Formats: sequence, C-alpha cells, structure tokens
Amino acid sequence: MGAKHEDGRRQMIWVEILSRHRDVVARHRCEGAEIRIGRAYDNDVIVDDPYVAPRHLRIYRSEDGTLIAEDLGSANGLYADDGADRQPRIVIDGDRRLRIGRTHLRIREASHQVAAERTVVPTGRLWPRALGLGGAVIALELVSAWLGETAEPQVSRYLLPVLLLSVLTLAWVSTWAVLSRIFSGQARFERHLVIALAMLLVFSVYEELCDVGAFALSWRVLADYSYVGAWALFATLCFLHLREIGPGHLKLKAGVVGGLAAAVIGAQTLAQSEMRAWMTQQSYLHDLKPPMLRIAPPQTDAAFFADAKSLQAKLDRARKEEPPVSELFSGFDSEE
Amino acid sequence: MRAAALIFALAAASAGVALAQSAPAPTQLAPNPAQAAPIPAPVSAPPGPVSSTAESVYAAAKPRLLQIRTLVESADRQSSIGSGLLVTAEGLALTNYHVVSQYALEPSTYRLEYAAPDGSRGPLKLQAIDVVNDLAVVQLDKPAASFFEFEPRALAGTLPKGERLFAMGNPLDLGFTIVEGTYNGLVDYSYNAQIHFSGALNPGMSGGPTVTVDGRVAGINVAKQTRGELVSFLVPVEYAVALIERARRNAPLTPADARAEITRQLTDWQAGLFQAVGDKGFRPSTFGPYRAPESAVPWLNCWARTNADAIPKPRALVATTNCSSRTSLFIAGDLQTGQVDFTHSLVRGVDLNAFQFAAFLSRQMQPVWLGSWGKKRLTQQRCHEDFVTFAAGTDRPLLRAVWCARAYREFDGLYDVSVSAVTEDRDREALVSRLNMRGITYENALALGRRFLGAIEWAPSTKTAGGK
Repeated sequence: MGAKHEDGRRQMIWVEILSRHRDVVARHRCEGAEIRIGRAYDNDVIVDDPYVAPRHLRIYRSEDGTLIAEDLGSANGLYADDGADRQPRIVIDGDRRLRIGRTHLRIREASHQVAAERTVVPTGRLWPRALGLGGAVIALELVSAWLGETAEPQVSRYLLPVLLLSVLTLAWVSTWAVLSRIFSGQARFERHLVIALAMLLVFSVYEELCDVGAFALSWRVLADYSYVGAWALFATLCFLHLREIGPGHLKLKAGVVGGLAAAVIGAQTLAQSEMRAWMTQQSYLHDLKPPMLRIAPPQTDAAFFADAKSLQAKLDRARKEEPPVSELFSGFDSEE
Repeated sequence: MRAAALIFALAAASAGVALAQSAPAPTQLAPNPAQAAPIPAPVSAPPGPVSSTAESVYAAAKPRLLQIRTLVESADRQSSIGSGLLVTAEGLALTNYHVVSQYALEPSTYRLEYAAPDGSRGPLKLQAIDVVNDLAVVQLDKPAASFFEFEPRALAGTLPKGERLFAMGNPLDLGFTIVEGTYNGLVDYSYNAQIHFSGALNPGMSGGPTVTVDGRVAGINVAKQTRGELVSFLVPVEYAVALIERARRNAPLTPADARAEITRQLTDWQAGLFQAVGDKGFRPSTFGPYRAPESAVPWLNCWARTNADAIPKPRALVATTNCSSRTSLFIAGDLQTGQVDFTHSLVRGVDLNAFQFAAFLSRQMQPVWLGSWGKKRLTQQRCHEDFVTFAAGTDRPLLRAVWCARAYREFDGLYDVSVSAVTEDRDREALVSRLNMRGITYENALALGRRFLGAIEWAPSTKTAGGK
C-alpha cells in the first residue's frame, strides 16, 4: 500500500493557471497517464478562454518518464514562456510556462522542489523601528530649525515643515506600497516605510554634515556640490524600494536608477554653471557656524592676500571675454 | 546705510532722471521763455515773478547758451539732452561729461548736436573731457559772436554764502530757462569739490552756466539732490578754466582715445584719493571688546544705527557705524564709480545660543555692493574666503575674511573690491567689518584691504580675556 501510495503521489500532477503577472489563479490536481486541457467539458482541466480550442493540449508521460505537452491541432497553437515560435510539443520542467490562446499554464509534478521556508518577520516588529526612525528624523529637523532660529520662535514655523514632511513621506511610501502590491502581490507598507525613513535620516544627517563641514574645513565645494550626494542618496532609496518589490533583475534596477541619478546630477551641474555665468555675483559661504566648530587651520595674512591677488589674473581674463548677451533692452531717452 | 542711500540718491540725480521724451523740442522760442511757455509745468518757471535782474541777465546770456543733444545716429532722434555755454571766440563750449557720455563711450552709435536759442543747429566735436569733475569741452562748427566770462571771485573762492546766482539751461526740453538761487559754499564731506547751490536745477539743465548778477559764470550745473528741496550742485569754475586751457593746448580727443583717456583720469584720481586715505591713516575705534580701523580722512560722512530700540526686542543687538564718501563719479548711465565706504557692526547675542548666533551673523555677512550694475561694464565678481590670522601680533582675533573683486571691462586696471571680515573668537559676540572700494587699482586695494583687516584687534582691556 505504501508503494502504491508513493506511486500515486508520483503520478499526481498539478496544472496551474497563471495570471499575466505569474500569480497562480487556479490550481488543478490531476492524476492519470494523460491529462487533456481545453475549453470543452470532456477535458480534465477546463480553460474558459475563447482563444483556446475545445481540445487544445494533452500532457503525457514519455518513455523515459518526462512530461510532454502536445498541441492537439489547435488554431492558435502552443508556445513556451514568452516565445514567439509555435511549438508542436514541449518538454515540461516545473518552471517553464506554457501559453495556449491567452492563457498561461504551469505544470508541476508532486516531486517539484520548492524553496526553503522564509523566516517570518512579524510586522509588529517593524513598527517600533519605523516609529524610532520617524522620531529621529523629526527630532533632527526640529533641532536644525531651532539652531537656525534668530527671531522670536513661532510654533507654526516648526509644526508646518514637520507636517509637510510627514505627509510627503506617507505619500511616497504609499506609492511604493501600491507598486509593490501590483508587481509582487504584497504591499509591504511597513518595510517601505522603514526604508524611506532610514534614508531620510541619512539624508538629514548628510545635509547637516555638508553644512558644518563647509564651514569647519573652510571648503565651500562641500556646500556647493552637496546635491551630488543628495541625488546619490535618492537613487539608493529608489533602489532599495525596487529591491523590496522583487529580488530579481537587481543589476538592471541598479543600472537604471544609477543612470537616472547620474543624468540628474549632470543636468543640475550644467544648470548651476549656467546660472553662475548669468549671475553677476559669485556667492560665497553664507552659513557661518560657531567658532568652536572650526577645524581648518587659518591662513596667514600673507597667504590670504596672495590668494586674493591671484584672482586678478582671472578677472583680467574675464575682462577680455565678450560680455554675455543682455536679455533686457534698456534704451530710453533721458534728459540731463 | 543712510549715508549710502544719500550717495545713491545723489548719483541718481547726476545720472539725469529718466524722462522719456522722444519728440524734438520746439525750436522757435519767444524772447522771454517765461511768457512763451503756457505749459502747466512749474519746473520751467522760477518761483514768483521774474525779477528785472533776471531779465537782464538772461538777455545778456541768451546768445551764449546752447542745448547739447545726443542723437542716436541711426534714428537721427535725440536720446538725451543737456545744456552748454560758449566760452571762447573760436566756438569752444563747456558742458558736463555726463551730457556727452553716450557719445564718448559709443561714438559709432551716437552723435552730438547743438541747438542755440536763435534756432540754429550744428554738429559738435568732442574736444576734451574731465570725468572726475564731470566736465567736457565741445567745439562748434562756427566761431562764437559772444561768450561767457568766469567770475574772478568764484575762481578765488571768495564768493560769500548767500550771494544771488542765476542758473540757466533747457530743463526737460521745455525751452531755455533762468532760475534764481543762492550760493552756499562747498559741500562738506566730499573729496571732490562741489558747490552747493540752493535753486531748482532740473534734468536738461546739466552743463548750463550758473552766473552772478553781472552775468559771469560762478559754476556749471551738474546735479541735484532728489531727496531734498532745491538742493543742487555746481562744478567749481576753476576746473572748467583748467579744462578749457587743456582743450586749447592739446589736440582734440579722438573717439578711439576716449576710453583710454577715461581710464587714465580715473587711475590718476583714485591714486590721489587712496594716497590720501593711506597718508591720513586709520585711527582705532572701540567696538565692545574689539578695536577697528576708521579712516582719518575728513571727507567721509559717518552714520550710526542700532536695533536696540526695535520691537519686538531683538535677540541679538547690532550697533553699526557706516562711513562713506559722497563722491561718486558718473561714467555711464549704468556705471558710477569712486565711492569708498566702510562699515563696522558689533553684534551681541542677547538670548541666542552659539548656533543661532552664527546664523544671525551669517545674515550680517551678506555681500553688499553699492548698487548692482550690468554685465556689460563689469565682469562677474570673484571671491576668496578663508580663516585668517595676522602673523604680526597676538592681540588680534582670528577672522573669517572674504575678498571679492570684479573688473571694469572698458577700463583696464580698475576694479571694484569689497573686503569683509567677521571675528571668530567668541560664541555670542562678533565684529563684522567691511570695506568697499570702487574704481581702484588692484595694488591699492590689496594694500588698503590688508591695512584694514590688520587693524582689527582686541581692545586693550580685553586683550587678556579674549581669544583661544
């Protein structure tokens, strides 16, 4: 009986009807030497697809025991995976999808190996993490606003940005959750929230570091080009969300996100350099910090004025260049 | 800042208030312009009935007056107008540099023309310019039947305050006008000498004469103060006499040489000005725990202001001293130069922490130029900034200094330079100092900037307490 039972299990075949996104829509348990699939009611598996023939497909076991799918002479034929070539018959392994009419099928034997079970991370465990990160982001935001406060403090000046930030974050996370639900079947709102908040915290810290660093190291580049790092962080954020949606095609995702980030950085750099040429005033470091944060050693007066003198050559070169075309025509008559 | 606004207002006045008038002036003028102008424009007539003195002064001066027009060559229409006066029998006439500045800088776009009270017109040749005193000598295409003489007492500087003077010219293209006013001596706190004339000068009268009762020239109309009433300015005649002398002696100014000539005059002038600043030196002035340099030259006008009385009570107290020169040279409608000013602000946190105080200071360190001018005449500003320590002494606080400069495109070797510094030795107290120098050579700016920053030090009593 044991042998027969085992044989029966070996004979058992599952026919799965898949959605376009490869979700299983229906699963049929079949036994026997041959399974017939089609629209007619004398089939083992009935497919309600007008593009499927009444008797479309049969599955049988070959001499060596492998399963074969064979077209029974349908008008629309049999295709493998996303292939465009009509096949008379296809050797079945558990992962290959078949397409008849507009229906996707997957046929698996009882012996099909499935992946090991995943460890369950209870969503309850994610919420404290999200709350902690959110609290840190808001705290950093408030402290930063407070340290820049030079007028009478007003609650609205603190509350509004925090509310705005919260709403934007929720909108962002919801968008990813919806995308996630569409493409992977699960929203994973908590995970997306944790990703977004963690990156937001990193971003806030990064901005503060750039700000303080530009003063402390007397290195204005840090403040002028902080957007490069900001876009890189944004690209990382998008990549992490994409990875959460599905673990496949990671290199492609990284490439697309990285390429887009590089394009944006390039565009902003171009815009900034054009803006500089257009402006008459070159900016200097606008944010001073307390003297105790200074790290860079001071220049001597001789070195400072030597550097100031070196600007003369640059100015003299600029003097020779054609002035940029003025956009404003300012010709009017006057009396003197 | 009040002083800066004053200068700017003055500059705007000498630039000629822009009043769009494209139609040519009526050329047929009745002998008495007061009767011939039924236009309800109070500016064209002196207040009150014309005195018999004014009538005779005008009658004598009339054949020697000119209207000087700058015309757009391609359109053959006037672009700006001013006045002039005949000064020699050969047909040399005097006017303001700013009346002919468009032609001087762009000789291919503009041309000059005169219109006399008798209706005659003709071309003008630019003979000589003095941008420093805003004068120009032009040559008519015909000799002059009569011309103005200069008042000897004005040349000797012995005109008494209160002396009656008559200004003449063609204001707002309304016709030739005579205006009565009084002589009020030279303007205080000005590096360049200017006569304060209490009378109504209006746009279009620039370059016209202001004469004594005898009809002799006491000054050349040049500007008015837009913020005051009847506050007008004249160029002293000694500069006019000198320029006429130069015009007679030298070959006429060719259009190609005008820029080089302006460059030379500006360079010489700033050398004298900054020589004076250097010679007089800086005297230390105490600002809380700091001492900062104040120039000892007599021609700087200083103002103080504070926010101590502001409501709501400020969280940081700012006490500012600003000194600026009234002198501003008109070069073109969009370029004035020659101003010098410096500012010291002592900033004290009341209930700000170190970070908030630094944020407050950042706002005090914003760049300030006296006006912003187009890219046509000035290059982009370039800056160098860093922490600076003066090797010379230990009694000086560490500074964060910013040096910004831009070059004049048309005038080689001249720059606008702004040097600012904020002390970096205390958490809730700082001195913000700035020195602006316009139309200066780079060497002079470096030397003066270094002296300025080097003179920021601790006041003797705080020497031991301060610094880290």
